[in-house]
Amino acid sequence: MRGIEGKVVVLGSRGVGKSRLVIKYIKNALHRTEEPTIAVSFFTCNIILDDVKIKLQIWDTAGQERFRAVAPMYYRNANAAILVFDLTQYKTFTEIKSWIQELHRNVQDPMILTLVGNKMDMQSQRAVSRDEAHLFAISIGATYFETSTETDQGLEQVFLSTALGLVRLADEGKSHSLRSFESSDSLFYTNSNTAFSYTATALAARNLDSSAFRLPYVHIGIPVDGQDVKPTGEGRLETPSWAIEHIALGQVERSRWCCY
Amino acid sequence: MANRAPMLRIGQQDLKCRQGCGFYGNTQFDGLCSKCFRERNDKQRKKQRASEDHEALYTGASSAGGTMEHKSPQHSLSLGRAKPKKQPEKEQPHNETPTASSTMPRKKFTVPAVLQKTLKNKLAVPQQPRVPSATEKQFMLQLRQLRIPDDAKRKLKSEIQRLDHEIRKYMNNNSTKNVDELSDLVQNAYTRVADIVHNDQRFEIATNEDRDSAIDFFEKVVMTQNHNLLFSPYFTTDEESDIKVQKRIRQLSWITAKHLDCSIDEVNAEARDLVYNAISELVGIDSYYSPQEKLLCTVRCCRHIFELLKRSTGGPASADDFLPALIFVVLKANPVRLHSNLNFVNRFTNASRVMSGEGGYYFTNLCSAIAFIENLNGESLSIGAEEFDALMSGEQTYSTPWESALLACESLHLISENMKCMEQLQKRNSVIATGIKDFERELIEFQREVTEKVDTVMAKAPLTLLPIKTPPFLISQARAHLSQDGVEAVAGHYQTNLLSGGLGQHQLSAKSKEKELATHEDSHLEAAHTLALKDTSIGSVGRLSPLHQNLPQPDQLFASPIFNYTPFDAVSLLEESSENGDVLMLGSEFQGGLTNINYDFDLSDQSGENSVADESKLNLDEFDPLVQQRQQIASTVPNSAAELSLLDTTTDSLIDCDVPLAGALLPSPLKPEVANYRGFSNFDIPSISCNTGDFSSLNQDVNDPGVPAPSNK
Repeated sequence: MRGIEGKVVVLGSRGVGKSRLVIKYIKNALHRTEEPTIAVSFFTCNIILDDVKIKLQIWDTAGQERFRAVAPMYYRNANAAILVFDLTQYKTFTEIKSWIQELHRNVQDPMILTLVGNKMDMQSQRAVSRDEAHLFAISIGATYFETSTETDQGLEQVFLSTALGLVRLADEGKSHSLRSFESSDSLFYTNSNTAFSYTATALAARNLDSSAFRLPYVHIGIPVDGQDVKPTGEGRLETPSWAIEHIALGQVERSRWCCY
Repeated sequence: MANRAPMLRIGQQDLKCRQGCGFYGNTQFDGLCSKCFRERNDKQRKKQRASEDHEALYTGASSAGGTMEHKSPQHSLSLGRAKPKKQPEKEQPHNETPTASSTMPRKKFTVPAVLQKTLKNKLAVPQQPRVPSATEKQFMLQLRQLRIPDDAKRKLKSEIQRLDHEIRKYMNNNSTKNVDELSDLVQNAYTRVADIVHNDQRFEIATNEDRDSAIDFFEKVVMTQNHNLLFSPYFTTDEESDIKVQKRIRQLSWITAKHLDCSIDEVNAEARDLVYNAISELVGIDSYYSPQEKLLCTVRCCRHIFELLKRSTGGPASADDFLPALIFVVLKANPVRLHSNLNFVNRFTNASRVMSGEGGYYFTNLCSAIAFIENLNGESLSIGAEEFDALMSGEQTYSTPWESALLACESLHLISENMKCMEQLQKRNSVIATGIKDFERELIEFQREVTEKVDTVMAKAPLTLLPIKTPPFLISQARAHLSQDGVEAVAGHYQTNLLSGGLGQHQLSAKSKEKELATHEDSHLEAAHTLALKDTSIGSVGRLSPLHQNLPQPDQLFASPIFNYTPFDAVSLLEESSENGDVLMLGSEFQGGLTNINYDFDLSDQSGENSVADESKLNLDEFDPLVQQRQQIASTVPNSAAELSLLDTTTDSLIDCDVPLAGALLPSPLKPEVANYRGFSNFDIPSISCNTGDFSSLNQDVNDPGVPAPSNK
């Protein structure tokens, strides 16, 4: 089985819920009811997609303006970045732009960008429209998702799309820092995740047309042509799409990802 | 760029390569971009190699190669066993001497002599203590415990030796050393080993975990062995930056959690404990040799901080909270050799370790924390630039809430402790006070009770002392004796008699002598006084007044202990008297005298004889002065005085009757009479009833002294 190990940095201003996003996702993935015992800002998470085991190393970062100067240390050698902003605060959205600039300036390797608008449950206070965010995401070559850490909406998609992007990145072999390895020892993982592997395949195949999982990777510094993704992202963000389909097919299945 | 004052924001222009190639430069590359830097390095290296080759022609055989060959067999042997490993290490300086001397002229042009010396010192001196066989053995054990095939172990071992040699070779022979070259060398070795471990067929059966642990082991051994060479090498500026950063942190001692906007509760004791834990872990980084352990230490430190944040914020902490907290901890810890440690890890650990994994994440955090500290200014602390400068220069002192809180906390703690202490003391004090009051009350009560009791007892049984009734036959006998033997004979006889009585009597007699030397009036007064004090009710004393003169002498001589007890109980008096009699082995005469008194107590109510006794007392009183006169006379004669005085006591009443008859010389009591007196004492104890008849008759006899004794018998 092929294995990919990628480093994912979570960027965003303070208070947009970066850590919450990660913690919630990890918690859900582990089927845990309680919060992780040791509250840390570093997680590793294994996702198995088809025949690829993707090991995500999620690095949370400090979002304060004053720490902007040391941020390059974090996204050095990163393969993917999850850019989080608060849908209810426009300022956090504009700050994303400065983050992007900084990434462009400091990272040479291609990188998977994922733009996440958090706190979508607070619709009434919404300050950033979906279209605007989506357009911006296209302009920077990112995939856009809206999530809610309160209602757990869209969390899995964020990480799954990142994982898929990493697979593609590895396939094209353009990233030097992305570590690929043969995971022959993953007997445990393959056994426990066979079902999920299938699910993931089906899901990827099913969603290929709707471009939900056609993830562009971005050569940072090179302008992105927005052909891959059209601003037709309706529907995929409302609910986890595969979950609904599974319900329809009568095979409700929690994604059993091994995360630790 | 490197020389410029640190700024939070670096201008675009500053980031560009110094060569002007348009790419971004890097401080680590001397302000050059990576490409330019490599080019320059290569050029330098080439130049150097050319010169070296040139030199080598002169020196003949390459000294470097020579030493290498010379050492390598030893080394390959050495790792096989723990002990011989030490040998080559120790030999190294010896091996080196020819090397150094041969390379001396060659290096002369490139490195100053001073540096040569430091180089030699650096290499030679720390090598002796560096490889303790203990760690060596441990490594051997660990190698054996690795779960990889034996030939894989052998391969790993040889790789370790190879890198060991490479490092040493580089350190010994390269004239211009570059730490990045060294780092490259080590990193290449890592990749090589990783490649071997993952692809070599000798490792084929090993699991991935075992492979990883093999790589780990490789790194650990090499780094620990060569720690002294690789840690803060002399050709780098690590040490200077260490000092610089330490100084800066010292200057920044006024920074508080508030400045950094982090949620550490500085006053909370629990939080403080965790901060101290984190600080001790951070400081502990320096004490480990291998990068892995240093990273582990960092991870532990960060875990403490997360624990701390979790408690203070209530929920899981985010990186937004974590970094400020880490900066705060670094500032408070001010760890030694910070840069050296960071650079050591950065350069010589397996690159993937720093790039990824938890250790890498926290290490990155630590690095960024230090970078932040180095580039700190007023803006980043949200205070004015002037204020920042003033605080930095120490002109303005910042009363740190942390310290003042600590102080306040400490003192508050102390205060509360003291308050508690005081409270306890107060409680105890009040308990004691109430106890005292109670005791006082009890005492008063007791006194009252005692006096009451005594009064009632006194009222019930007034003390009436009856004159001692001397059996008439005694008197007559005494008279007879006196007339027969004379003073000397009597004295001798009586003395022997008394001596047989016991030592106590001697003492008593001596005492009595002294007393009797004093004027009798005084003694009388005193006696009266003591009587009064002894709580014998005045009434009784008054009643006793006729006997007054009688009593003093027994009192003074023997009875004083008895009289001490008298006030309490008539019964006790009874007992005491008998006891005393036993203990002191008093003369029977004296006992008789006492028993007389007791007897009077007991029988005063019942018998009508008392009234008779009272009357007789009056008679005795009249004679009292005469007795005293006689005593005074007797005292002049030392020997006889004792007897006489003793005799007096017993015979006070006896003499009272006798005085007119016997005059100055009292007839000495007679032996048989002593036995009789015992009878008297026995009589006092009511249990012996059979004697009563006799003695009552005796009493009657006493009443009438004129009645001759023989009639009684």
